[in-house]
Amino acid sequence: MNKAVFKTIGLVLAALLVAMLFFLPMLGHYGNDSTLFTVTLLLASVGTAISWNLTGGFTGYVDFGHAVWWGIGAYTTGVLMSNESEWIPQQWPLVPALIVSMFFTALVANLVGRLTMRLSGPYFSIAMLGFFVFFREVVRVVGPLTNRGIGLTIKPVINRPLWYYITLIFVLFLVYLSWWLRRTRFGASLIAIREDEIGAEMRGIDTTRNKVMVFTLSGAITGLLGGMWAYQNTFLDPDIAFVEVRTIDAVMGTMLGGLGTVAGPIIGMVFLFVLRELLWTQESLLQTHLIVQGLLLGAVVLYLPKGLMGLVRGEVAFLDRFRERSSTFDGMESAVLEAQESSISDSENEHPNDPVAMHPTWDGRTS
Amino acid sequence: MDTLVQALINGIAVGGFLTLMVLGFSIIWGVMGVINFAHGEFIMVGAYMAWYARSEWGVEPLYSALPIFLIMFVVGFVLQKLVVNKVIDRPHLVSLLVMFAVSIIMSNSVKLIAGADFRRVNSDIQRGFWELGDIATIPRKHTVVLVVAIIVLVALQTFLQKTRLGKSIRAAAQNREAAQIVGIDIKWVYAFTFALCIGITAMSGALTSTIIPVFPFMGPPWALRAFVITALSGLGSVKGTLGAAMFLGLLESLVATYAPGSSGSQLAVITAFGLLVVTLVLRPQGLFGGLRPVDAGGH
Repeated sequence: MNKAVFKTIGLVLAALLVAMLFFLPMLGHYGNDSTLFTVTLLLASVGTAISWNLTGGFTGYVDFGHAVWWGIGAYTTGVLMSNESEWIPQQWPLVPALIVSMFFTALVANLVGRLTMRLSGPYFSIAMLGFFVFFREVVRVVGPLTNRGIGLTIKPVINRPLWYYITLIFVLFLVYLSWWLRRTRFGASLIAIREDEIGAEMRGIDTTRNKVMVFTLSGAITGLLGGMWAYQNTFLDPDIAFVEVRTIDAVMGTMLGGLGTVAGPIIGMVFLFVLRELLWTQESLLQTHLIVQGLLLGAVVLYLPKGLMGLVRGEVAFLDRFRERSSTFDGMESAVLEAQESSISDSENEHPNDPVAMHPTWDGRTS
Repeated sequence: MDTLVQALINGIAVGGFLTLMVLGFSIIWGVMGVINFAHGEFIMVGAYMAWYARSEWGVEPLYSALPIFLIMFVVGFVLQKLVVNKVIDRPHLVSLLVMFAVSIIMSNSVKLIAGADFRRVNSDIQRGFWELGDIATIPRKHTVVLVVAIIVLVALQTFLQKTRLGKSIRAAAQNREAAQIVGIDIKWVYAFTFALCIGITAMSGALTSTIIPVFPFMGPPWALRAFVITALSGLGSVKGTLGAAMFLGLLESLVATYAPGSSGSQLAVITAFGLLVVTLVLRPQGLFGGLRPVDAGGH
């Protein structure tokens, strides 16, 4: 089958999915509040995976603490909308609170990005995990603002169907954003940074600025989703706002679907969701879903590094193309070996002189 | 003054068990180039084994530590052959993600088997304090761990410096190709190193199970500390790890002592992390300068 056929099938499936999601609240039995709540959460995690994919997939900076933005967004909304915070007892209305949450998370992400985006590969990953643990403790320490570890309650006034549609439209917008971004000059520069950061810099791309920008955007999106979650959950404490599982889900869903592709995070998250629902219907398997998820992640990384999207397209292993960004990484190996390795990976590239065009069929488009 | 002395004593005690905990992480990274993201989970498994031995058979953690070391040595060997070997030549990101998967599987499996409750392991030997006049008290459990830590460190240092296998490990870390050329069986060296480090790590978990709360998701903060200490000390250096662990232990202890209110333990985590960021940011081009192979400090 050629690419056009795949593209058509993909588009038809996507259209069907969107139509189904739009009519879900009208489907009587299936459209009850509890289903809507679950599907809203699924949509939010799709959104988180999309925003994770901007840094982890497009730019090649694997963020192991991404859930921190969710937590910060959720807590900002919580602090503003709840009357249990000593410093800000006023109860803000929803929309301003969400806007402030988004901008505040973006600000923090920007500052954090300025520090961590200078680190390479594993250092970045672990520094972000550190920031995640750090902010969870900070929330506990700044007692008067966040009501300590006890948590915050938000007045429960929510119209589930309406909220469902708002989330759906926002996530559809995110899909579009990610698709559009990939086609801009900015998106191309991110791919260039992933493939060869030094090369990209030499070609005049302001790598630091672009990295911090995409990191800020990614943080802002997840922060807003976190704020929206806080509002519909009506209660939050440090342990449910800052949850490792949200990072795991985002990494997992994106890896499964296809790292660095537009459709990857969506396909992966939906797959994961269906898998989890299947496991949850069996009483005996209730506890095992994260174990299964871990096994799946290991298997995907080892045997299917391009995810389901790669499987469909029959493409080669992509993770192996991650260039080591600093010579200190493989200092264990001799300089000669390093030189050999880089010459091998150069010869693998179809367009060794053009980092932007290294993956012409990256998302189904020929350049 | 008394508080200060007490804080310093606590800091040294914490530094002692941190050294034992972190060493395996540092050596695996230094020798194999694999960042063991599941490091904290191996500590957790060791602690759970000690807890089980104590509650089911009444065996003291001090005595169950050696069997736990041997069991986890075998586990580490098998894990290296089955999983780690596959990722060792691939970029760091691949090994990081695979070890991330291993950590998810381990913590959730333990949760499934033993439940998510907090456990604390009691020990008769390690109960009580030694009093140092009126100035300070030394908790016995910390002393036991510190003594074992020193024994293990000396043994490991001697092993790396004097024995043939130890020298092979250092050679493999310095230059893999050259090590292979002179006839070192690199696969065996890697498997042995990984097994040894996992064994030591699980043993450290068993010993410290009397000090720290034990639960399935206790791993990440310890893995984070392991990273901080390794970032400060350089890869695979026994002496460097000891120094950096002592530094972090003292810093955390001082923060916990002088922090206002009950926020001490949280501030200690924040301090550890702040140290990591400062180190990383001051040396963004790589922390280790001319990256040191396993224990270059011995020369």
